[in-house]
Amino acid sequence: MSYKAKLKEFDLILEQDVVKLEDLKKLSFHGIPDDQGKRALCWRILLGYLPEERSKWKNVLTEKRKLYKQFIEEMIVMPGENESNGDVTQGDHPLSINPDSTWSTYFKDNEVLLQIDKDVRRLCPDISFFQQPTEFPCEEIVNSNDVKRLHTRVQRRILDCANVERRGLGITKIALLIKKACEDYAPMEEGKEAHWEVVERILFIYAKLNPGQGYVQGMNEIIGPIYHSFAMDPDLEYREYAEADSFFCFTNLMSEIRDFFIKSLDETDHGINSMMSTLMMRLKTNDLDVWLKFQQQDLKPQYYAFRWITLLLSQEFPLPDVLRIWDSLFSDENRFDFLIYVCCAMIVIMRNQLLDCDFSSNIKLLQNFPPMDVQIILSKAVELSKKPIF
Amino acid sequence: MAKKTYDLLFKLLLIGDSGVGKTCILFRFSDDAFTTTFISTIGIDFKIKTIELRGKKIKLQIWDTAGQERFHTITTSYYRGAMGIMLVYDINNEKSFENIVKWLRNIDEHANEDVEKMILGNKCDMDDKRTVSKERGETIAREHSIRFMETSAKANINIERAFRELAEAILDKTAGREPGGDGNMDRVLVDKKPMTNTTKSCCNN
Repeated sequence: MSYKAKLKEFDLILEQDVVKLEDLKKLSFHGIPDDQGKRALCWRILLGYLPEERSKWKNVLTEKRKLYKQFIEEMIVMPGENESNGDVTQGDHPLSINPDSTWSTYFKDNEVLLQIDKDVRRLCPDISFFQQPTEFPCEEIVNSNDVKRLHTRVQRRILDCANVERRGLGITKIALLIKKACEDYAPMEEGKEAHWEVVERILFIYAKLNPGQGYVQGMNEIIGPIYHSFAMDPDLEYREYAEADSFFCFTNLMSEIRDFFIKSLDETDHGINSMMSTLMMRLKTNDLDVWLKFQQQDLKPQYYAFRWITLLLSQEFPLPDVLRIWDSLFSDENRFDFLIYVCCAMIVIMRNQLLDCDFSSNIKLLQNFPPMDVQIILSKAVELSKKPIF
Repeated sequence: MAKKTYDLLFKLLLIGDSGVGKTCILFRFSDDAFTTTFISTIGIDFKIKTIELRGKKIKLQIWDTAGQERFHTITTSYYRGAMGIMLVYDINNEKSFENIVKWLRNIDEHANEDVEKMILGNKCDMDDKRTVSKERGETIAREHSIRFMETSAKANINIERAFRELAEAILDKTAGREPGGDGNMDRVLVDKKPMTNTTKSCCNN
């Protein structure tokens, strides 16, 4: 099918009054066009953010975007401004040992924030996108003299020191040492905000709303591709609300894969360990030789597939390939079963090398998957998924 | 069988809080390069480097781990097989230093009793942001009878030296203290050249 014809097919489905999810999944499974914001729109539907009825879209978007703005207000802009209710002596202060103290929450939040901050500053370093300023910064935050900026809360401060030089009775000269920070992921000037700061906010709000889970390393790699797709939308309005929309899509996606991120659920049916054993079972059925070799070398799936599965392969391939793989993963009827077939295909494709090499080389190969046409992997995965299971 | 290109295989492990520079230390050692463009390590990563010590080719199999609590179940499973462990903190990050005690406890719980340990205070090139003095690093190392060094993956300070010393300590043990070898009797080996952070290892390049 030509690219134009493909675009047309997507239009046909997306322009219906009621978008048939089943049809959309079938079509998206083979890849969503990169242009016209098609991917962002399809993902919104596939991830259950937008309903099938087109007539409801406007309302949903308005409502959700309003809700997100409220989250920002309550969790980032406002804290510390509402505790003046009544008696001042009962008031809150930074050294309060009351567990309900706003200050104690503030300090606990900062621990979470510290981790998020470290990770968003190393998100997709191979592309410059996240270090660029967004067209749509959060006004209340970027014009707050840095006070409301999340990363300033966890900035490590050191007292400035100065050398005082005194020459005889003359004037005292104070030599201030000014060190310039030349960081790539440097914060922006007042009024501006980089994309990584937006991602930091999304993750912080998510962690606040999901205290049982909080923030786990790797979540940044899940929100990254979604936000990137949304923030690159050619449509101005969609672009403007990329932050809110990607927050909800991320939340929906996380509700399906959150078990991978929770240690106490490792052993459950949807936990990471069971996913890894499914992968090994499928490898055994499809390529006994490689499976045996892994057994013999004691090469466990934890060494490579833990990351593959937890991050939905987002660290294994360059961003455009990740987007393409996710089209298929999100269209999977039986989410995230196809992911396991993709992982299995990656191993099977490398079989000759794997059978030939020693433990170290094999680990290296699997942890640094060689660049290749991602279509080859996906086709192989489809082939494996169609094989009858004995 | 594949031909053996080494005499001995040592398994090493890098642990420590997230963001202290474990991956950068390893990258400096294995590829002699530095980059700030590292993504966070999820689960466990792996590098190989072969070095020569006392005429022996030693293959170092080094596991790099994720710092966050969530990954401890998968990372602690590597402790058992490790012959040497590098505990890394960031000299500009107080918390990462305080957590060294926690990491040591982890080692006690999960690693072999005779595992060789070394504490590294990383990022010592950023002396202007320092919050943990070198003396505090030395003190905690002495208290636990562990080797200690301040390192910088960025400025390439003490990286090669740290790995070689750790490997040497393991070699001493495996070789049963060969006569003539400089087996260190008291095992406490804090950085020999105090105060000069910029001493580069003679073994670089």
